[in-house]
Amino acid sequence: MDRQQIGLKLAIDGLGLRFEINSFRDRLIMQKAVYLAQAAGINLGYYYHWYLYGPYSPSLTRDEFAIATDIASGMDASEGWKLDDKSAQRLEEIRDISKESDRDKDKLAKKLELLASVHFLVDRKQVSKVDAGLIATTLERFNKDFSEADVEKALGELTKYGLLAA
Amino acid sequence: MASSQHDRSGKLIVDSIHGDIHLKQREVKVIDTPSFQRLRQLNQLAMAQLVYPTATHTRFAHSIGALGTMIRILGAAEESDIDMTDEEKDDLRLAALLHDIGHYPYSHLMEKLDKVILIEEEIGGAEPVSRSIDAGKSKYPDHEEVGALIVTCQDDLVEAIGGKERAKAVADIFTRAQAADPQLSKLIHSSFDIDRCDYLLRDSHAAGVPYGQIDLNYLLNNLRVSPQRMVGFSDKALPAVEHMLLARFFLYRVVYYHKTIYGLEEVCRQLLRRLRDRDGEHYGIPVDGEAVKTLITSARLHAFSDGFVDNVIRQAVDDEDEIVRVLAKSVQSRRPPKLIREVQVCEESGRKHHDGTAFFERCRSNLKGLSEEFSIPLGQFLLCCPAVTIMKAPRQYRASEITSLNADELRTRGHEEEEEQIWIFRDKKLEPESFWDMEHSLVGKCAKYFVQSFRLYVVYEGEDRGNVIARLREAIDDWDKG
Repeated sequence: MDRQQIGLKLAIDGLGLRFEINSFRDRLIMQKAVYLAQAAGINLGYYYHWYLYGPYSPSLTRDEFAIATDIASGMDASEGWKLDDKSAQRLEEIRDISKESDRDKDKLAKKLELLASVHFLVDRKQVSKVDAGLIATTLERFNKDFSEADVEKALGELTKYGLLAA
Repeated sequence: MASSQHDRSGKLIVDSIHGDIHLKQREVKVIDTPSFQRLRQLNQLAMAQLVYPTATHTRFAHSIGALGTMIRILGAAEESDIDMTDEEKDDLRLAALLHDIGHYPYSHLMEKLDKVILIEEEIGGAEPVSRSIDAGKSKYPDHEEVGALIVTCQDDLVEAIGGKERAKAVADIFTRAQAADPQLSKLIHSSFDIDRCDYLLRDSHAAGVPYGQIDLNYLLNNLRVSPQRMVGFSDKALPAVEHMLLARFFLYRVVYYHKTIYGLEEVCRQLLRRLRDRDGEHYGIPVDGEAVKTLITSARLHAFSDGFVDNVIRQAVDDEDEIVRVLAKSVQSRRPPKLIREVQVCEESGRKHHDGTAFFERCRSNLKGLSEEFSIPLGQFLLCCPAVTIMKAPRQYRASEITSLNADELRTRGHEEEEEQIWIFRDKKLEPESFWDMEHSLVGKCAKYFVQSFRLYVVYEGEDRGNVIARLREAIDDWDKG
C-alpha cells in the first residue's frame, strides 16, 4: 500500500464501513462514501468524474483493488498508522449518513448514489442553481429515477452534515 | 498515414508516428499559447532518457499525437454512421489536444507525491516518526483536475478556445465532469483511447524498443459503433486488441519500471517528499494541493516544468540535511541507486504470502539493523514494489454479472468500471460483448495475474563502494525465505 491507499483504508475504517469490494454494490458504496468523505473535508486525493452511477473515480477503483490484494496477501500496511485527530473527528460526525440503512445494502447504495450525485452536480456547477426540480430533471437525463422530493431530502441531508452551505 | 478531416484554413504538422496531422485554425491558436507551449518543457518519460538516451520526446509531441489519433478515430466513427455535430467533433479534438495540459514537472513523479512513503515511515520505530496521515491537508490534485483549472483559468487558453463556456465544455470532456456521452468521452481515457494509442507507439519508438508497436491501422479499420453507441472492435481484431494490452504490459516492464529508471525516479520522489513535508526550506515546492492550484492558475505556471524540479535538485545538493544532499547528488550526477535485491513474483490476485511478501516483511523488521551494521543512514535505503497487470484495474467478479444482461441493460446498468473495458462485436451481433467474455482469449485468461517486483535499493557513494554493495547483497541473501 502506498501512503494514499493507507489514508483511504483508514478513512473507510473511520466511516465504520467494512472494506468490501466483492460485488458491484459494495464498490459503489465505497465510491460514494469516499466521495462524501472528501466533500466533508477529508482530503484523500481522489478526483471524481461523472459516470453512469454519478461521481466515480477510476484511481479509487484501482486503489481499492490494490488494497484488497494486499490485505488478501496478509499485508495490511495501514496497521500502526492513524488519521489526524481533526479528520477522525469529522469522519465520526458524518458516519451516520450510512447508519440508518446500513443493514440494507441496496438501500444504502441507492441513498449514497443520490447524495453524491446531487452534491457533484451542485459542486461542479453542472446545474445553474441549487434547485431540487432542476437537479431532478438533470438526473432524469441520466436515467436516474430520483424524484424531486428525493432530491429535496438529499439537499437537506447534505446541508445537515455540512457538505453543502445552508 | 494521412489524417482525415483536412481543414485548409489551419496548418499541417508532420508527426513521426502518425504522419500528416491537419490542424484547424482554433487548434493552431491553442497550440500557440504559452500555456500549451509549456508542454515542450515536460519530458513524456520523465527520467527514462537517463537509460534510453533517445527517449527525450515531450508532452507537447504526445499531445499533438493524441489529436492525430482522435482525428483518425473520428474518421472511423464517421464510417460507422455515428451521429455527431461538427461542434461535438471539434470539442473532442480540442479535448484530445488538451488532455495532458495539466501534467506536473516530471509528470506522475511529482503528481503522486502524496503516495510516497518515507523509509522511516515504512519500517517504523527507527526514529520517533509519526505514522500519521494528515487528511486535513489538501492533496496534490491529479493532472486532469489541474488540466481543467488551467483550461478554464488561464486567459490565453480561454481566449484561444473561444471563451469560458467552451473552455469548460472541453475540460468537461477530458475530465468527464458530465455524461454527455460516456462512450465517446471514453475515447479520451479507457483501455483503448487516444492517450494509449499514441503513447505506446511514441514511447516505444523513442526509447528504441519494439514492444509498443501496436497495429493501430488494423484496430481503427475494425472500430465499430453500435446502435446503442457502444464503441468496440469487430472480433477479427481480437489479436490486435490482445497485442495492444500486452504492449502496455511489456512497456511497463521494460521502460517504465526499468530498475535504473525506477530507482532514480524513486530517489527523486523520496527527495521531493522530504523537502515538501519538512519544517525547513522547501525550495519553492508547493506544500499542498491548494498551493498547487494557486501556482497553476497564475503566471508562474509557465515555469512549472521539468526545469522546476531540476532547480530544486540543484539547490538541494548543498542542503544542510545529509540524506537530502545524498539523494540530490544521486539524481544530479546520474549515480543511480544500487539494486541490492529484487524479488519478482507473478501471482494470482489474492494469493496469501509469497516470496515478495516474505521479503518485504524481512525488510521491515531487519532494515534498521542493517543500516546500523553498515553505518549507512536508513534514509539512503529505498524499498518499493511496482506492480503491473494486463488491464488497468484487475477484473475479478464481472463476467457472470455482465453475461446475464442484454444489450439495453448493459447500456443502462453497465458497471462504472467498464471505462477500463474493451468491447468486441462478435459474429453479426449488433451490440458488443465485454473483452472479458471472449473465452478463447489467452490474454484475457492471463489478466487475473499480476507481476510485481519487490526491490531494495541503496544510495551509497562512500568508500569501497563495490565491496560494501557486495556485502550488503550477501547480508540479505535469504530475506525472501519465509
